[in-house]
Amino acid sequence: MPSAGLWIRPVPTDGSRAVGRPGPSVRRCVSFLLATLIATVLPVGVTGATMPPGPAAVAADTLRAPPVLRNESDEPGVVEVTLTAARARLSLIPGRPRADVFAYNGVVPGPTLDVREGDRVMVHFRNELPEPTTVHWHGIHLPAGADGSPFDPILPGQSFDYVFTIPEGTAGTYWYHPHPDGRSSAQVALGLFGAIIVRAIDDPLPASISEKLLILSDNRIMADGSIDLPAADSPGGLIDAENGREGTDLFVNGQIMPEIGIRSGEVQRWRVVNASAARVYRLALPGRTFLHVGDDGGLFERPAEVSEVVIANSERVELLVRGTGPPGGRETFRTLPYDRYVPQTRPADWNQPRDLLTLAYTDDPAVAPVEIPTVLRPVVALDPGQATANRVIVFTQGLINGRTMDLDRVDISGRLGATEIWEIENLVGMDHPFHLHGFRFQVLDRNGEPVLHRSWKDTVNVPRHETVRIIVRFEDFAGKWMFHCHILDHEDLGMMGILEIK
Amino acid sequence: MLHRTKRVSGYAVVSIVVITAAAFTMPRGKESEADRTPGLHQQDIIVKGRMLVTSHACGDCHGGGDNPAAEGWLVGKMTPQQEFMIGPCAFEPGAQPCFRTRARNLTPDNTTGLGRFSERQIFNALRYGLRPGETADVEITSTIPGQGNFPAAPKYLAPPMPWPSWRHMPDEDLWAIAAYLKRGLKPVRNQVEDSEGPPDFWASEYTVEKIGPLETPAFPTARETGGK
Repeated sequence: MPSAGLWIRPVPTDGSRAVGRPGPSVRRCVSFLLATLIATVLPVGVTGATMPPGPAAVAADTLRAPPVLRNESDEPGVVEVTLTAARARLSLIPGRPRADVFAYNGVVPGPTLDVREGDRVMVHFRNELPEPTTVHWHGIHLPAGADGSPFDPILPGQSFDYVFTIPEGTAGTYWYHPHPDGRSSAQVALGLFGAIIVRAIDDPLPASISEKLLILSDNRIMADGSIDLPAADSPGGLIDAENGREGTDLFVNGQIMPEIGIRSGEVQRWRVVNASAARVYRLALPGRTFLHVGDDGGLFERPAEVSEVVIANSERVELLVRGTGPPGGRETFRTLPYDRYVPQTRPADWNQPRDLLTLAYTDDPAVAPVEIPTVLRPVVALDPGQATANRVIVFTQGLINGRTMDLDRVDISGRLGATEIWEIENLVGMDHPFHLHGFRFQVLDRNGEPVLHRSWKDTVNVPRHETVRIIVRFEDFAGKWMFHCHILDHEDLGMMGILEIK
Repeated sequence: MLHRTKRVSGYAVVSIVVITAAAFTMPRGKESEADRTPGLHQQDIIVKGRMLVTSHACGDCHGGGDNPAAEGWLVGKMTPQQEFMIGPCAFEPGAQPCFRTRARNLTPDNTTGLGRFSERQIFNALRYGLRPGETADVEITSTIPGQGNFPAAPKYLAPPMPWPSWRHMPDEDLWAIAAYLKRGLKPVRNQVEDSEGPPDFWASEYTVEKIGPLETPAFPTARETGGK
């Protein structure tokens, strides 16, 4: 910042409002800095691709799903795939020059791992990057050695087989991304992230409902097409370290403002993954409601009707989107402002809604909406009476319980099979999403207020100055597990601890 | 530094200048548990801390003035007088940059005050100006970022907190203040909105060039008599 010295004065209490009461002037204070430090790149419009004429009833999407990893095994119940991380040159925004990126199997986002409960999964992974990496299967309950944690880096040129079995009852939407020591944010920014869909044998939602995968990511793409990764000690690098790296370009499946076609009356199932390093989305279709049917660990017991859904980075939600608009109409799916920031580095445009995609109605007459079951599947509550430990996890900025992560230190020791309650306290003025590896959990309460809507989580946002209590059972797998703030930059800077289960 | 603090308007400035003058010749040892004022009972340490807090005008910004019986004693911002404009806008309305900073809750409430911070983190805040929520709970043995546990990217307390003056107080005084704040006060829940500031949280303002080194020159300097 300019060397302004430290002019100081108490805020005036008389009628002189020239220096401002809290309000717009506060935002201007912050924008002074950020306007010059963050190059705001507004999204370009819809790509305008013309769709071939087809049957009128088929809605035309410009939204493309990432390719699905091809199963190389013909053995029932076995999914064997090949995944390679390598450098590639891709244009990340239409019309911009190609950039040096990191990609799984040459595409950004990476290909989707599409499996069923009970499947034995074998991923033949090869690291062709110039640096160590891992593949972390975010939210999947698997052996510690297959978790892709910083304990098990895959060095350049090396291969590793990640082998695990998808447990019954864990159908849902997950994702995979690198988790090497200190480089997660950069590797994700460079293009390494992909979705995992775990399907149930007996999915309670009607099979006639069409399904869309929406991977939300953000990035900063420069005019020359390259990815803006500022040096750690530059003003931009300091802001990224503080906020977590937040992009100004918002993508759905790597596309800017794609279009999803819908017929009036149609119901669609959207699986939404927040693969952003730090951005929290407040998803809304203005004027409409969603049926919120699931989150990190799959479907709820009962759907909830909501007008917006907050999805922190690395969380997932499943939404039923009902095309209640008239034929031929267009609606905008957007993210509303969400203030997760410390005032020091709150972006100037944080209070602006951002458009994500267009919902385009076909001209066909409305159809009758399908019936949605009122009970989806049982979600059995973990019993706090069974808990054998109550632990307090204190988040301060960049620290957990006053320390940064050390791979040679165990912060918490737990017993295999034990149920524990963890109280996660966020003492500082910005949100920190908490993620526990390997074991799904349930949220008991927030600031002492019980959370009655039971669901399976692997990540929970802990807003500024709030406390969240979770309950977890350490089933099946001993070993060392990470728990951390999922703002990838904070994780890289050591806002992480190690849980050992014996 | 005086150039800066004399621009502070209001009551705080008087005590800051007094403290600056008084603190020059104080000895400073290494921070360790063993150094915490040997021979004094815990109760005495807390009473000493209380005396230091009242005499250093902590309550002028953090609440209650110099009266520990006053409502709002050290609970942080309750009134507009406990909020500050930092930057040229303090004197020229609308001038930029402009940041609002607020006196924090110093009572040992677990989530809104100092409850979850250790006495060492409070000591480090007073000695090095490091925000306890952003600084590890470790002994610091250096003032050079990245060395001796001093954070590589330090996050400093927001102005007008006059820690650059108070860092010169002896170890045992700072430990006594920490003991009083943690163990001598009842916790009060008062969530104070975070202060604003530049992205480096004032690191560019609290450099050695601007506030001087922690060590003071040997006594006597050319401007001092040596007491003879």
